[in-house]
Amino acid sequence: MSAVLQSLVNQPYKHGFVTEIESDIAPKGLNEDTIRLISAKKNEPEWLLSFRLKAYQKWLTMTEPEWQNVHYPKIDFQAISYYSAPKPKKKLASMDEVDPELLRTFEKLGVPMHERAALAGVAVDVIFDSVSVATTYKQKLADVGIIFCSISEAVHTHPELIQKYLGTVVPVGDNYFAALNSAVFTDGSFCFIPKGVKCPMDLSTYFRINTEGSGQFERTLIIAEEDAAVSYLEGCTAPRFDTNQLHAAVVELVALDNADIKYSTVQNWYAGDENGIGGIYNFVTKRGLAKGRNSRISWTQVETGSAITWKYPSCILRGDNSVGEFYSVAVTNNYQQADTGTKMIHLGKNTRSTIVSKGISAGHSNSSYRGLVRIAPTAEGARNYSQCDSMLIGDQCGAHTFPYIQVHNNSAIVEHEASTSKIGEDQLFYFSQRGINAEEAVSMIINGFCKDVFQQLPMEFAVEATKLLSFKLEGSVG
Amino acid sequence: MSETVATDYLDCLLKSWSTKSNQPLSWLNQLRASAIDYVSTQRLPTKRDEEWRFTDISALARLSFQSAQSNTDLQAQDIKHLHLKEAKNSLVFVDGHYSAELSTIIDSATLKIGNLSEFLLTHAAILESHFGQYAKFDNSVFAALNTAFLRDCALIIVPKNIVIAEPVHLLFIATQSEVTSCPRCLIIGEPGSNVTFVEDYVSLREAAYVTNSVTEISLSANAHARHIRIQRESTQAYHLANCAVSLAHGSNYQSVSISLGAQISRYNLDIQLIDEAAECTIDGLALISDNQLADTHTCIDHIKPNGTSRQQHKCIVNDKAHAVFNGKIIVRPHAQQTNSSQSSRNLLLSKAAQVDTKPQLEIFADDVKCAHGATVGQLDQEEIFYLESRGLSEAAARGLLTYAFGAEIINRIPVSSLRQQLEQTVLNQTQDNKL
Repeated sequence: MSAVLQSLVNQPYKHGFVTEIESDIAPKGLNEDTIRLISAKKNEPEWLLSFRLKAYQKWLTMTEPEWQNVHYPKIDFQAISYYSAPKPKKKLASMDEVDPELLRTFEKLGVPMHERAALAGVAVDVIFDSVSVATTYKQKLADVGIIFCSISEAVHTHPELIQKYLGTVVPVGDNYFAALNSAVFTDGSFCFIPKGVKCPMDLSTYFRINTEGSGQFERTLIIAEEDAAVSYLEGCTAPRFDTNQLHAAVVELVALDNADIKYSTVQNWYAGDENGIGGIYNFVTKRGLAKGRNSRISWTQVETGSAITWKYPSCILRGDNSVGEFYSVAVTNNYQQADTGTKMIHLGKNTRSTIVSKGISAGHSNSSYRGLVRIAPTAEGARNYSQCDSMLIGDQCGAHTFPYIQVHNNSAIVEHEASTSKIGEDQLFYFSQRGINAEEAVSMIINGFCKDVFQQLPMEFAVEATKLLSFKLEGSVG
Repeated sequence: MSETVATDYLDCLLKSWSTKSNQPLSWLNQLRASAIDYVSTQRLPTKRDEEWRFTDISALARLSFQSAQSNTDLQAQDIKHLHLKEAKNSLVFVDGHYSAELSTIIDSATLKIGNLSEFLLTHAAILESHFGQYAKFDNSVFAALNTAFLRDCALIIVPKNIVIAEPVHLLFIATQSEVTSCPRCLIIGEPGSNVTFVEDYVSLREAAYVTNSVTEISLSANAHARHIRIQRESTQAYHLANCAVSLAHGSNYQSVSISLGAQISRYNLDIQLIDEAAECTIDGLALISDNQLADTHTCIDHIKPNGTSRQQHKCIVNDKAHAVFNGKIIVRPHAQQTNSSQSSRNLLLSKAAQVDTKPQLEIFADDVKCAHGATVGQLDQEEIFYLESRGLSEAAARGLLTYAFGAEIINRIPVSSLRQQLEQTVLNQTQDNKL
């Protein structure tokens, strides 16, 4: 391993600053009172409080799972603050009223929230710590009937939709962290695309954890009615702290007949320093229900941050002819750990799914692909293609694959392939022969390796992802 | 869920333990005593254990099958049809007990071959250094049970630089119903040796019984071994097997295992490449129908650099049968230049047939080539159409394609009479196939 490759990975995290904003923080600890406090702070209706309390009761009966291929000290759930909101918190009428300090934060992060939003043509909902601080383009979207707002706002303005769909894809007792999220979620995005509407612009949510010692528990719910289509983007960053912070989000997608939901994530939570101190625990439950005929759900993720990433964006393909897709790039460096993959549950006839997963490990990190493809007896003519490739940079890291393939119908065709490779000296030699230095060569090789996934990302995100990757791996190859 | 039930099978065996250890050497008794100590702290695995997630043996837990007593009724005439004409040397075990009358040993000058009680007198030191060293029982209750209850052991020691051209036949015959037998094999290949052996499990009649076997294979530097394993037990039987292989520098291990019988069969194959430049080739075929379940778990552990492994596992599943495959490949830190490939291919012949496959890679070294693949599907309509266009009936076309799918593995068996037998079995199976 030459020094150029080594020096390529170790770029400092550039989103590690803390914004000095006064926050309204709930006392640490979790009990029924905390949940009532969150509910009261958000002025929630009774049914939502009982939803939370039911989830909390469920959570108390569950134990933290241990099967995953990641290692971390036990989380003390009583040492986390479950509510943190930037102050002052009054109703914001326009972007001009947003705390300028906050705006500067997002300016630094390069989030197009203001006029820049117009240039980028993306509607943005911004979640700072636990609370949604701004949503752009609301009016323009409302004109075509799209509801795009924070989930706590939707609870008040569209309670019937929330009641109908919340917790239907990820039930409160689904898993330990989903139950926790259901009990204490503070905010998140809500998006509803009515029948026949193709969303005219990409929707985007930007998540930022700012306060030390707080956990972020947001909840996203996206519903696409018959013939609707939407492309949704999610970005995440967090400041640099020496303590580990928990991020346990739940994302639920529902696609009705002929609907199309595309969900893209560029996850860049703080990953901890080069010795593995600090960083975010990113334990997220993401699941889409392709409920209607010919519906399509597509997950694209670029996972570069977090001390530990542990998530499996899944598709339940219930409608006949529905399609599930999963494209993922997971990059780990230093002491990061990632256990990520997907589940494709084929229930309907002629359902199809594609899985493309690329894992890059450097430093002392470990990355795992864990996937499930299940063909139920009812899934006549189902089709799956999975590909998971790993690239190792250095001999201290590890790459693992755990693909579960369960086929209960003989008309299904399921294919899985995986490979492991490294950046070869001969490849680098070829590049240098053509006058391309090692650093650029590595960047090109890695981009080529990830091309299948990056192609799925919307333009702006693809550019960001490419940049992110070269920063991330700066100094690791050579 | 079956905690209380699970102790039945174990309890029953545990009660029969105690005075049975009549082996003359203390190390063996110690080993068996520690195995029984381990068993007494364990329960039978259930579907909640990740390693047994798809294989439900709760029915076994309810059975009270005692350890098998010896059966001396069997005549050479009864098992004549089981002999392989290529095999000059054969060791026959009836319900786990060695039968000297049925066995034939010709090559004893060049090849050390025999059973446990003989070898304990003549080769005690070698035995002690190998026996129980590879198939460790600290994570397998069945390997521990075998160690505790084994009655005898098939032993082959191939001396340095000796090449044995003819295959050695190790025949394990089940004759009694409602018993547990614990066959055991130990194969030691000294440096530069070369041997082919057939490990063959058969039943003379349809009966319910348990076979719990353990095979240990140790190859020294540059030794070669070809291991053919045929499991054709009664379709009511339970077959639980562990095989552990240790490969030294430059050694080469090739294995073909065929699972045809048993109600529930489970084969654990663990291969450790403990030194550089070792090679292994693992092929497997499960051909099952009705309510059979065939489970194969393999683990190929590349501990040192420059190792090579290639694996192909195929399942042909008919009726309501259920095939399970879990293939793990580990590349340890610094096991650079490892080259490993694995493929799991599964053919479902009926609507109710099931396959659970999990090819698993765990890689801790960067300069390696590893690939795995898995496919599940039915026969290709276009291939059937092609054959039909050449004048074959649809049934014949399906039979031929299914046969060809399985034949790829069977053709790797280096013993021609056995290969022909198995080809015939597959042909019969595919012709019966009412598609």
